[in-house]
Amino acid sequence: MPGVTIKGLTKRYGDVAAVEGLSLEVQPSELVSLLGPSGCGKTTTLRLVAGFLRPEAGEIWVGERCLSSPTGVVPPERRRMAMIFQSYALWPHMTVAQNVAYGLRLKAGVSKTEREARVKDMLRVVQLGGYESRYPGELSGGQQQRVAVARALVVEPEILLLDEPLSNLDANLREEMRFEIRRLHATFAITTLYVTHDQGEAMVISDRVAVLHRGRVVQVGTAEDLFQRPRTRFVAEFIGKTNLVDGVAVEPGVVERGGLRLRVAVTGLKAGAPVAVSIRPHEIILVTGDRATPPGHNVLTGVVQRTSYLGDAVDYQVRVNESDVTLRVTAPTSIRLGPGVGARLAVAPEACVPLIEPEEGRP
Amino acid sequence: MRVGTGGLVRFDRSLPVWVLAALALLVLMALPLGWLGYMSVSGGEGATLAHYREVFTDAQLQKALWNTVVLAFWVGLVSLAIGAPMAWLTARTDLPGRRLIRGLIMASFVTPPFLGAFAWVMLAGPNAGLLNKLYRALTGAEDPLVNVFSMPGLIFVVAIYTFPYVFIMIANTLELIASELEDAASILGAGRLRVALTVTLPMVLPAIASGFILAVLQALALFGSPAILALPAGFHTITTQIWALFHYPPKVEMAAAFSVPLLLATALLLLVQKQLLGRRGYAAIGGKSAQRRRIPLGPWRLPALAGCLGVMACSIFLPYGILAKAAFARAWAQPLTAENFTLENFALTFGHGATRSAIWNTLELGTLTACVGAGLAAVLAYIVNRRILPGHQLLAFLALAPVVIPGVVLAVALFVAYTRPPLVLYGSLWILFVAYLTKEMPVGYAQSDATFKGVHPELEEAGRVLGAGRLRVLGEITAPLARSGVIATWCFVFIGVIRELSASIILFTPNTKVISVVIFDLKEEGQFGAIAVLGLFMLAMTFAAVVVMQTLLGRDFIGAKE
Repeated sequence: MPGVTIKGLTKRYGDVAAVEGLSLEVQPSELVSLLGPSGCGKTTTLRLVAGFLRPEAGEIWVGERCLSSPTGVVPPERRRMAMIFQSYALWPHMTVAQNVAYGLRLKAGVSKTEREARVKDMLRVVQLGGYESRYPGELSGGQQQRVAVARALVVEPEILLLDEPLSNLDANLREEMRFEIRRLHATFAITTLYVTHDQGEAMVISDRVAVLHRGRVVQVGTAEDLFQRPRTRFVAEFIGKTNLVDGVAVEPGVVERGGLRLRVAVTGLKAGAPVAVSIRPHEIILVTGDRATPPGHNVLTGVVQRTSYLGDAVDYQVRVNESDVTLRVTAPTSIRLGPGVGARLAVAPEACVPLIEPEEGRP
Repeated sequence: MRVGTGGLVRFDRSLPVWVLAALALLVLMALPLGWLGYMSVSGGEGATLAHYREVFTDAQLQKALWNTVVLAFWVGLVSLAIGAPMAWLTARTDLPGRRLIRGLIMASFVTPPFLGAFAWVMLAGPNAGLLNKLYRALTGAEDPLVNVFSMPGLIFVVAIYTFPYVFIMIANTLELIASELEDAASILGAGRLRVALTVTLPMVLPAIASGFILAVLQALALFGSPAILALPAGFHTITTQIWALFHYPPKVEMAAAFSVPLLLATALLLLVQKQLLGRRGYAAIGGKSAQRRRIPLGPWRLPALAGCLGVMACSIFLPYGILAKAAFARAWAQPLTAENFTLENFALTFGHGATRSAIWNTLELGTLTACVGAGLAAVLAYIVNRRILPGHQLLAFLALAPVVIPGVVLAVALFVAYTRPPLVLYGSLWILFVAYLTKEMPVGYAQSDATFKGVHPELEEAGRVLGAGRLRVLGEITAPLARSGVIATWCFVFIGVIRELSASIILFTPNTKVISVVIFDLKEEGQFGAIAVLGLFMLAMTFAAVVVMQTLLGRDFIGAKE
């Protein structure tokens, strides 16, 4: 099972670069998500990998084979890949069995009996046994989705590509299919690229997530990496909610903004450099009354501006005293403070993550 | 080379198909138009503008030009006056019999206008016309009530077969406008009239204007009706004048020079229409939850229905009735009594050798053009939709370009192009085939384009990824999915060909007549019985094709799904 290596990939439409110098390494049997907002180039990247587009620069390698470069592109039909499309792309004039068997018919050395057996097995795996002679139009959205999965997996591709395959399903089904895809990946261990704009989906499904922004990979890592150690402002804001405090490093491990002084998670900062610090709302502890603050934490005082009851938590906006910073704090429902009440906030230095890579176009 | 373990640079076997289709289209369009332009400026020695000078100074040609302007403008206005209210009534109100009215309007859309003109000669000719005879009998007056051989008569007869263009444009737009858009104005305090004037009308205005332009264009390009109604009245339009220039001694250069202004005017009007439609985002009118409520007409239901049926009487009931009567009568102007009833017209018409060969010619040409046209249009639309060749936008432009070429002008161009080497086609059916193919290409292309827009590219890509080459995907996935659309295109082209008159009338030779030309000739002999029989035959073939098409598309070709 080979991996995928993408080196410096660039694809332009007219003057607009959809993908610009994108590089990514996918290990054999790994499932990597390409995550980003619409227009970030994730689908273009996937279609480049599939061979539908020719790059202007860069290369795509699968194992020892170079499949795409500006000088030539191996056509999709000879890439030994399979793809699951956003629209499912089930052929309406073929039955479920015919749809699933299509790729096997094109494979040399698969006899008719073997083909039928494999189709049957695969349909059972995706829990569609008995649906062989139905037409796609007679199936529900979730069932169509499963047929698309079966059609892609039955050919035992080297690489599996998925283009927002769950975006047409309703919320419950989507959740169910996330685990289903994860289960199938565990079973077949096919190297997989998965395109999505849904961070929750990416985090549940992937081994690693590559966050794309303006045609580039801005950060690759496990879900935990991205959430706890975002490297750029874009990643910090795109993955989960966060507070961003734009300050200045005053010591290698301390960032200040106005009256706000934070000891942060790293100690390599250059004094005087502008630094943005990301603090997740649920990492901030609301300390009520005279209780002691946890040792070693940054302690801030402020005034509650607004509260929102969310059912499982309460969302506070707290204006920090002697500064222009308002922090969002997610606190358990056992603590209830009203607007105008003074509050103390405690944040561990490890939870104050300086964004070490400057964003393009920002100071 | 590192690249290439998968056999990278292999010849794409589908490429010749694309390139050949593109080249065929290029030749089809460039050759005649190039010759037309060349001919219009060619003189005894070198280039000359003498023909143009003559065209714009000759009093008779000037008159024809002016008549055409008057005709086209009034046809546009009358079509609007008929088409717009009917569009609103069928699209937005609870008018009874809406589907029937729509069906009838489609019938008048596919009725060859020159058949309508013949029918109206029988209905409103000054002497023998049925309506005039009725009027005289009822009032004892000497003078006829109406005379169809006049400019107003011509305008009327052209308009009743042209208003469907306006109707289609406006009805389709009205059906896209969600009631919510109007409700939003109502809830802010706008009364019914204000809503209509400030919300609905502005949204429909581009469609109204562009429907008007389409109607004007039809009137500009029409040959049959003016030839039947204007010539006896003693005046020419541009198209009949161009035709007359081909009479002995033929003045081809003059005809070419006279064609160019018509071509340019058509192109200009189409450009304006495109601008009108393009400027406002029609997509914004849609919206997912677009619900459309029908406006209750109340006491106006029946008067409105009567008005619609009145229009349909003029364009369908009366003309079809008189054609049917003439087909079965010895003397068409006499009451259809037992003595007057006969089937001889049918026997004579279909027994006549020349007529039979014309029928065969028409069927042959219709079938051949439809097959080649639907095939070529499908390939071209596929190239453009899947962006297979560089410059695919140019192909789309070329395929749609003949829209601006009136049939008579196209005929002049083809006459010039194919009466000389390398391709001498004049005198054979092939020149008619080329004319029809060119003329029907825009319709065929538009239909094919819609077909391939309906086949999601991912359906093909799914096949490619699984290991099927381009041709294989085309055969196993695209073709079955596009089949009914292609057959519908076939019917569209077929209908267009069998009714074609304006190009045929210039390009035919005694051995290569088609039905429409025979009908036109029979007029000279006053054989209305035979005209009626052939007309009904033509209508029968047309409606058969329409039925096939609608069954396949699951909608009427105005666009309504029901």
